[in-house]
Amino acid sequence: MRRPDANGFDVLVVGAGHAGCEAAVAAATLGLDTALLTMRLEDTAKMSCNPAIGGIAKGHMVREIDALGGVMGRVTDRAGIQFKMLNRGRGPAVWSPRAQCDKALYSEEMARLLAGTPGLTRIAGVVNRVRLANGGVEAVELDDGRALRCRAAVVTPGTFLNGRIHVGEQKLEGGRLGERAARALSECLADLGLERGRLKTGTPPRLHRDSIDWETLEPQPGDEPPRPFSHWTERLDVDQVLCHLTRTNERTHEVIRRNLHRSPLYAGEIQGRGPRYCPSIEDKVVKFPERSAHHVFLEPEGRSVVETYVNGVSSSLPAEVQLEFVRTMRGLEQAEMLRPGYAVEYDFVLPHQLTPTLEVKRVGGLFLAGQICGTSGYEEAAAQGWVAGVNAALKVLGRPALVLGRDRAYVGVLVDDLVTREHREPYRMFTSAAEHRLLLRADNADERLAGIGHAIGLISRDQLEQVRSKYAAIDAEERRLSRVTVTCPWSTPPAALDREPVECASSARGARPVDPVYPDQARDVMDSDRGSRTSLRGLDFLARPGGSYALLRATGQGSALPDAWAECLEVRARYRGYIERQRRVAEQMVALEGWELPEALWVSTLSNLSSEAREKLLRVRPATAGQASRIAGVSPADIAVLLVHARRISSSSPR
Amino acid sequence: MLSLGDTIAAAATGGGPAGLAVVRVSGPGALGVADAVFRGATALSAAPTHTLHHGWAVAPPTRAGPALARLEPSAGATLDEVVVAVFRAPRSYTREDVVEFSCHGGEWSARRLLASLLASGARLAGPGEFTLRAFLNGRLDLAQAEAVADVIHAATSRAHELALSQLKGELSARLEAIGERLADAVAEVEARVDFAEDVGGIEVPAHVVAAIEAVDRELAELLAASSFARAVREGLRVPLVGRPNVGKSSLFNALVGEDRAIVAAVPGTTRDRVSETIDLEGIRVTLSDTAGLRATPEPVEALGIARTERAIEEGAAVLWVVDGSAPLCDEDHSVAARLKGRRITIALNKRDRPGVVRVEEAQALAGGHAPVVAVSATRGEGVDELRATLACELGLESGERSLAVAVSTPRHIEALERAKEALGRGITAARAAAPGEIVALELGEALRAIGEVTGRAASEDLLERIFSRFCIGK
Repeated sequence: MRRPDANGFDVLVVGAGHAGCEAAVAAATLGLDTALLTMRLEDTAKMSCNPAIGGIAKGHMVREIDALGGVMGRVTDRAGIQFKMLNRGRGPAVWSPRAQCDKALYSEEMARLLAGTPGLTRIAGVVNRVRLANGGVEAVELDDGRALRCRAAVVTPGTFLNGRIHVGEQKLEGGRLGERAARALSECLADLGLERGRLKTGTPPRLHRDSIDWETLEPQPGDEPPRPFSHWTERLDVDQVLCHLTRTNERTHEVIRRNLHRSPLYAGEIQGRGPRYCPSIEDKVVKFPERSAHHVFLEPEGRSVVETYVNGVSSSLPAEVQLEFVRTMRGLEQAEMLRPGYAVEYDFVLPHQLTPTLEVKRVGGLFLAGQICGTSGYEEAAAQGWVAGVNAALKVLGRPALVLGRDRAYVGVLVDDLVTREHREPYRMFTSAAEHRLLLRADNADERLAGIGHAIGLISRDQLEQVRSKYAAIDAEERRLSRVTVTCPWSTPPAALDREPVECASSARGARPVDPVYPDQARDVMDSDRGSRTSLRGLDFLARPGGSYALLRATGQGSALPDAWAECLEVRARYRGYIERQRRVAEQMVALEGWELPEALWVSTLSNLSSEAREKLLRVRPATAGQASRIAGVSPADIAVLLVHARRISSSSPR
Repeated sequence: MLSLGDTIAAAATGGGPAGLAVVRVSGPGALGVADAVFRGATALSAAPTHTLHHGWAVAPPTRAGPALARLEPSAGATLDEVVVAVFRAPRSYTREDVVEFSCHGGEWSARRLLASLLASGARLAGPGEFTLRAFLNGRLDLAQAEAVADVIHAATSRAHELALSQLKGELSARLEAIGERLADAVAEVEARVDFAEDVGGIEVPAHVVAAIEAVDRELAELLAASSFARAVREGLRVPLVGRPNVGKSSLFNALVGEDRAIVAAVPGTTRDRVSETIDLEGIRVTLSDTAGLRATPEPVEALGIARTERAIEEGAAVLWVVDGSAPLCDEDHSVAARLKGRRITIALNKRDRPGVVRVEEAQALAGGHAPVVAVSATRGEGVDELRATLACELGLESGERSLAVAVSTPRHIEALERAKEALGRGITAARAAAPGEIVALELGEALRAIGEVTGRAASEDLLERIFSRFCIGK
């Protein structure tokens, strides 16, 4: 497979974090000669912050890239030590898998996977420059003088891009505590004419396992049986560990308030903007003064390590202040801090300068992914890494690019949001970012995406067949249950529709306080219950509160569908009607999505647009009318004007 | 198809004898095109914005196509004396450069001037195209742009008042405010879906449900007022009904103020509906004289009666004419049966003759609640009182209702009804502790529907449909 020129690669990936690993494996699997470059070979897929993969909306993306042939889900299954489905109290569209991982094991397993990927070469080195020829990437130059030629490069430097660490009044250069930063690379990107910004993220302190009074804390177990992350993991044999819950209190907040002036965040030292929804404890105390307590989860960083992650109190206060406030919490009175929390600020490239394949518009063959595009989170990074790696490979192979629609995948929503919207803080995925949320579920990621993964060449025919037969079985059972009448195994009527909202027992993870009611379906059920009938259509039974496939099976009215498949069926039954409505809306939007805006548009006069709209459109240069419509400040009238201009250009250009 | 970037022209006033006529030009070439036909002290292209210029319109040197040849005098020939107003972009009706020629009214001045402008490079504007540009250039939102057509077409003072308020953006402002509040509620719901760990608690908290209900009530108010507003915009129909020969046609003529219906002492004279519009409290009310209701073997009369029945169905109310000088008969009772459930005003006619039917009797006939006014159609007595009573019955008393913010067009009503339905489903879902994403779905649908009114969610197709309603020149 190797070409004679040992110094040249098809695709060169810079950075072996969560984005880089996905990019490298995708490119190599597509048969390209791929190099993965990292500062230190032992730092592969490090979990720099929390010891977990997934979470609300993030878990969806992991399932998606898994269905597309990505690696994060598979590695998580091998490194996971506690598996949990979050948001069970809500509807299945927003159920999200999350897994606590053994950090060291995650790194190890990813390294093993990389090593087992043919065509993938790992190289240690620090990149200083990207060298261009004819407006495209030609090579990357390392700080030791080496130059590695490549046909496409995927740059994923994470927080290392001109990273600077703050612990209280202390400032250190670096992308992670105790590691160096990549300064030259950031300068090089500026030299290429890319507009940069600065962002900030933070991590909480780590405590010594044996210094915590576990007896006094509320245990948070995983799901039994654990559900694998990956579609391709048949079963998980895992001895799950416990997490624990404690809370901040008034004393904690008092310590923080008293020391706010020592936080670089509030002393004006940090210029970068931090993620609003993953705020530091300083932020929470200042911004939510009415709350007397915040949840704090204690999570083991591994099975056999003593480091315990304190989820919920990321901080850049001086170490002694961190210790002081930690010790105000129940169970942590004697806690010993192994490592203080810190904040890191880093450069990013304003992502409107990228195409929806994550290629830099002005530099052909240069792709960016991960925090360099202004995101936060392992999963967001992995999703972009997959997109960038696949598109870099497709470009080298001369194949058409892949852009996932917003109605197809969260991955598509992520990329579209990045290249279209303005970002003032690290972008984190939320389910509310997806307008077609009910269609984009964690349970149907394979149904939505395995075909695409196969068409690209990352999902095998066997895997695709496996997915097809799964959904054939689910479809068949759905059809059967839409016809047959089943007998309700209990005679009490379903919950009254107008019952008062019930306070959740606890907002801790995975709480499932009440059985959700789906008004559309429940109404049918209520109607059919008049005259105290206890038999009803199978699908209606699944949709009613308390109805489940397990109950059907228990009463001999179900078939031997595996649990995960049965759940998919329940989801369809409960969302029936809603899904249809959302699909119609999605179809209406596709019309605008399909309307491509020619490049020539942006050099034409663009009369009749408001100056704000014109400025924004020229900045983003959207590829489709749909993308244009999502730019803030661009009105439907502006879109109509754009379409008129586009039509004039396309009708005047020779075909 | 929409087209932009070129220069359009059209006569902004109707034809026919008049003191003045206005021809309007808009677009990037408006000043140049205008200069080609204008001879005055200053060139229009050098004129500052918002200035008036006196001069002469002359035929341009370029030759037009054969269709215009008939209108086109030789180059340089004087067409008319004009005053020209110059509005430079963006301070103009369309936000483009606009030139308005005021020439003399009548058949020819405006037509020849327009032909000359077209010959100089302007394109004849399509219906509503000036307003369309004002919308596309962001000067008006969709509801405001639609109001322009309504201002022009307003047939009564109140319809005009209504359209003006919409043009001023009052409806849009109200809907924007509603939309904002709804968006806040959506954000609250979404926060609970996405930050389960941080926010927690109940799915849709009571204060959010209350906020959604408040929006729902506000939409309900808007829609409740909409039937009145729609009446203001479109007018109302009121048929005059009754058994034959009670004097319906005479009363119709008295109400309308002229002899429109044939009056004869022969029962069954009116075979077809005759309609005429009157202005009642600023609202157009179309009165129709109808064939008397009776069982008849005569086919033409039977057809007329069928039409009468349809008129009763379509009418906002009916004016029932009863002969007060003759005892009530079976036919009166069968008319009463046909009018069941309708809003009725009774005119007790022929009060110039000795009365036989008492007011209470007439009232009882209609179910006990209908107002009764004694009139003499032939003498015109009691007709004013009848008009006032009818207006009252139709809910048109002046001064009672504000038209400041009213939804009056079927498109708006339909969109807001859809919004309200979605809200209703959202509230039901929220009360039933349905999952947040279901509640959010419904609220999102409501938001989209509201956006359709102001044009936040407009499609090109919708735009073309709306602007085709305009007359050319607006």
